[in-house]
Amino acid sequence: MSAATSTLPSTYTPAPGHRYKVGDAVVIKRAFPPGHRRTPYYIRGKQGVIERICGSFPNPEELAYGFDGEPKKILYRVRFAQNHVWPGYAGPAHDIIEMEIFEHWLLPAGNAAAKG
Amino acid sequence: MTAPPLNKGPHDVGGEAADAVDTLDHGMAFWEKQANGLRSVLSARRITRTDELRRAAEDLGDRYSQLAYFERTTMALRTVLLEKGLITEVELKAKMDEIRARFNVPDEMESPLIQAAQK
Amino acid sequence: MTDTKFDYYAQKKHAHDHGDHDHAADAHAAIEEPREGPPSEFEIMSRAMQELLEAKGVITAEQVRARMEQFEEDLPYRGSRVVARAWVDPDFKQRLLADGKAACTEFGIDLEADRLIAVENTPEVHNVIVCTLCSCYPRSLLGMPPTWYKSRNYRSRVVFEPRAVLREFGTVLPDNVTVRVHDSNADMRYVVIPMRPAGTEGWDEEKLAELLTRDTLVGVTTPGVAR
Repeated sequence: MSAATSTLPSTYTPAPGHRYKVGDAVVIKRAFPPGHRRTPYYIRGKQGVIERICGSFPNPEELAYGFDGEPKKILYRVRFAQNHVWPGYAGPAHDIIEMEIFEHWLLPAGNAAAKG
Repeated sequence: MTAPPLNKGPHDVGGEAADAVDTLDHGMAFWEKQANGLRSVLSARRITRTDELRRAAEDLGDRYSQLAYFERTTMALRTVLLEKGLITEVELKAKMDEIRARFNVPDEMESPLIQAAQK
Repeated sequence: MTDTKFDYYAQKKHAHDHGDHDHAADAHAAIEEPREGPPSEFEIMSRAMQELLEAKGVITAEQVRARMEQFEEDLPYRGSRVVARAWVDPDFKQRLLADGKAACTEFGIDLEADRLIAVENTPEVHNVIVCTLCSCYPRSLLGMPPTWYKSRNYRSRVVFEPRAVLREFGTVLPDNVTVRVHDSNADMRYVVIPMRPAGTEGWDEEKLAELLTRDTLVGVTTPGVAR
């Protein structure tokens, strides 16, 4: 992943008390609750690295049902190796995919609870 | 084949097999521009929230993939406006009937719909 | 389609009657209403909702009209201006990369609720943007997304076979280039800063902006200069 790791420290809004820092290895919760979720199905259970901290934002899982989204949730961008996300990925090993994940969907890598 | 993925919404399509991409932009119909303008005003004024409209679209289930983009956003807006009590089903039906009447073709013999039906 | 009827002929007559109309003097005439068929149930429903909300004083027709005009005439032309500046001004490019929303204010561009992340193509990395869950798109910078961006085929595939999808757009990347896909799934919006093509030395921003098509700013194509 070295080719694209010129990581910027941007936080776009304050992120008080954020649990993870840039470069931390994280696993996306392997959970399948009903309701409006912004964590794509395909990324659940996958391991990546925090690429940047976006800040804190109203929780979309609450906004979706007419509530105010408080308390806000810390939002990160997480980088994944494509050949980890997609078994049989056809491109080279250095290809990557990144997306935004809220803190409550993240676990420290190595946490047994994430293993499915 | 195993059981379908638990609680996977019709919108959550990343990773699914699909056909080649039609790389042309087919633009938007006038009504779609108007529907987009309406949605944008409601969103900017915080009358509806984007996440509510997304959720209402996702809740369309199988219809989600059958409808075009602005068809499902229109259905989603209907759901959210009803939920918020900003409109009622009775009002909406009456207004839709009124608009249908407004679009009537004056000369039935020349109506493209009737001509098409007679072919 | 149901049995909705539509007054084709009155519409045509109206268009004819207004054929020599001075549109420049009419602030409401910026967006024409072309019509190829009767309104669908969805169009009728959308109009009905708008008219009900207007009648209740929740919104005004003028607000919707103003938004439509903005989407038509302003928003689609913002992104290319901003990125052309990044091509000619390295300091601006750094500001754009550090905080896209703040950098856009230098152009008087207000991205409203959108937070913007600019990602830069280099000889080593090619970026491409998608939203698999809906159609998140930097509307306040690029206007409305094209049809393909909203299509299931693009949303499904570009995450797991980006190189194949890019080839369908005519973009072929060698294996030594890292393809970096961004699934725009939450509060950030994304714009690609393409590589400035050779042969554009000395071009001014306006001319450079013409190379920066919407597709290059989403990352499905790369700008080039005909030789």
